[in-house]
Amino acid sequence: MASKINTYEKSREWFDRATKVIPSGVYGHLGPAEGCFIPVSSFPLMGDRAKGSYFWDVDGNRFIDYMCAYGPNVLGYNDPDVDAAALEQAKKGNCMTSPSYKMVELAELMVDTVNCADWAFFAKNGNDVTTAAIMAARAATHRKKIIFVNGFYHGVAPWTQKIDYPGVLPEDVANNLYVDWNDFEQLEKTVAENEGEVAAFISTPYLHGNFADNVLPADGYWQKVRKLCTEKGIVLIVDDVRAGFRLDLAGSDHFYGIEADMICFCKAIANGWNVSCLCGKDFLKSAVSSLSYTGSYWMSAIPFAAGIACINKMKELNLPVLLREKALKVTGALKAAAENNGFDLRVSGEPALFYLRIANDDSLVLHQEWISEMVKRGVFMTSHHNHFLNASLTDEDIKQTAEIADEAFKAVAKNHPDLF
Amino acid sequence: MVDSRPDARTLAYINLYAVLGTLENLCELDEGARALLTNKKPIAIGFQVKGGPSATLTFYPNGRCRMEDGLTHCDILLPFSSCEKFNGMIDGTVTPIPSKGFQHIKFLLKCFVPLTDLLTKYMRAKPEDLEDPVFFDKSTTLMLYTIAVAIAQIGNQDAIGKFSAHLIPDGDISVCIKDGPGATIRVEDHHMITLKKPAATYRAVMEFRDMKLARDLFDGNVNAVACIGTGDIRMGGMISMVDNVNRILDRVALYLA
Repeated sequence: MASKINTYEKSREWFDRATKVIPSGVYGHLGPAEGCFIPVSSFPLMGDRAKGSYFWDVDGNRFIDYMCAYGPNVLGYNDPDVDAAALEQAKKGNCMTSPSYKMVELAELMVDTVNCADWAFFAKNGNDVTTAAIMAARAATHRKKIIFVNGFYHGVAPWTQKIDYPGVLPEDVANNLYVDWNDFEQLEKTVAENEGEVAAFISTPYLHGNFADNVLPADGYWQKVRKLCTEKGIVLIVDDVRAGFRLDLAGSDHFYGIEADMICFCKAIANGWNVSCLCGKDFLKSAVSSLSYTGSYWMSAIPFAAGIACINKMKELNLPVLLREKALKVTGALKAAAENNGFDLRVSGEPALFYLRIANDDSLVLHQEWISEMVKRGVFMTSHHNHFLNASLTDEDIKQTAEIADEAFKAVAKNHPDLF
Repeated sequence: MVDSRPDARTLAYINLYAVLGTLENLCELDEGARALLTNKKPIAIGFQVKGGPSATLTFYPNGRCRMEDGLTHCDILLPFSSCEKFNGMIDGTVTPIPSKGFQHIKFLLKCFVPLTDLLTKYMRAKPEDLEDPVFFDKSTTLMLYTIAVAIAQIGNQDAIGKFSAHLIPDGDISVCIKDGPGATIRVEDHHMITLKKPAATYRAVMEFRDMKLARDLFDGNVNAVACIGTGDIRMGGMISMVDNVNRILDRVALYLA
């Protein structure tokens, strides 16, 4: 039976209200511009509730969610164990003058769990901890330059943005150096050209940038990077905000066989309760201590309690293995549906954060049309960002996803009789 | 460190190709402009800017006007000792002196200057003029062409614009008004050129809902990001192309304000 085609009357009403009082209605990655809602009429704009692998929009449409709030939903929305811990803590206290001992318990758990961690520093968002890492690297080395990998995303603070972005000054990015992913020789050359000036090399564990196929590290790449950074006194920062815990509970640096000097976590720590964490090696602990860097809600207790429950449950589930198995089922089913309809669907990146691209045309229009048809039928995906798996996704969800994918491919093919 | 301020050289490229270049479209759209040229001999004016661009504007008796890059066969040559001097002519603070073609001075005074005055009337339109829907459409169309050409010049010349351009893959980007005029920004090895006609096929598209929306966007009354959410701007294809063109578009106002 053909799937219901969603309509979004209430979403539009709420969005129109939003535009009157909020710049661009919904800004950032959850919004239609940055989220690449193409066309915007195919996508829900406002949510109502979520449970497990699904969310419902304000029109009552249900979606099997392959974005997982862009990562925080790792166990399933409203996981009973995590939420029970959070609600229990809420009864005792959250944002208090004296931070809850739950912070210490979570820090101890992070140090026990994350391979390179001798300490843990908490904040709220990924950007908070990538910024802390850069500041700590500069404080420790008394150097100013930072090496980035082209295609990077490390947050939204001015230092993480590009010179042509609105509100960013040339001064904000004057000490940023750029190299290509997997190009160790270029990195080596850049380090040599800036001898004694490079404070840190910051990178995600693999290239999971947007708008392009994701690229895994070449054999031996990370090992060579680690050696170079050690030799040159450069702090090696792994930004694991996106991939953290989904590849390896000990950190994605561990997954690829190295030890970072500092590693940044956020999304998956507490299954949607807001906390981020910078972990690092002992030699950087005093540099972090020296920072003047804090926030009103950074030591709130509820997310710490949630984080403890979430990490323990991820361990019980052996989450990385579980997600990998589910992801391979999903991507296998999508590829089969594509092939059956004459589409060349490319899957890249690590399975638990798979990236999709239809390669039949070079404009990505077919891909955008397919994603649009998926969303209209109740599978939420995005055109140009990696996807996220969560532990609650069932085989029935995957089966339904495959059926909808088949319908969506057929709908796109029907609109392009010259191609299919 | 990169200087983010507008520079005279980029402005000269914009003034020549985007502003004076829009005379081509003015002559196509406006009968008054065509009438200034009708039944006169073809005449070519060369603009030679030291340290900057050079181009030739040729005016034809059928009321048409065409711009070509470089100085090949001009009847009148207007040399400028610097980009600042050329920009001064556009501002009206510098009077150009021909080095060739004094005998055609009448054309400069009686045809070229009125044409540029007419262009100014459309480009810096008074609110009361914009109440006339025909004038509004012509003015907005001319702005679209000017801005589309300015985008390419900024992408090729301006320090920040070049940064944006180096992130744009090869291909055609359609910048158009639904059921209205359009332009094609062609990118090849990060060099941009603008074709003042809609793209038959494209790799990325940015389409404005209507003339009114385009006008509001050009005048800075609305923001492109917000308009994508409301559906007033449709984007599609290689979004990184649209995204980076938008960043350059942000700088157009710096130069053309």
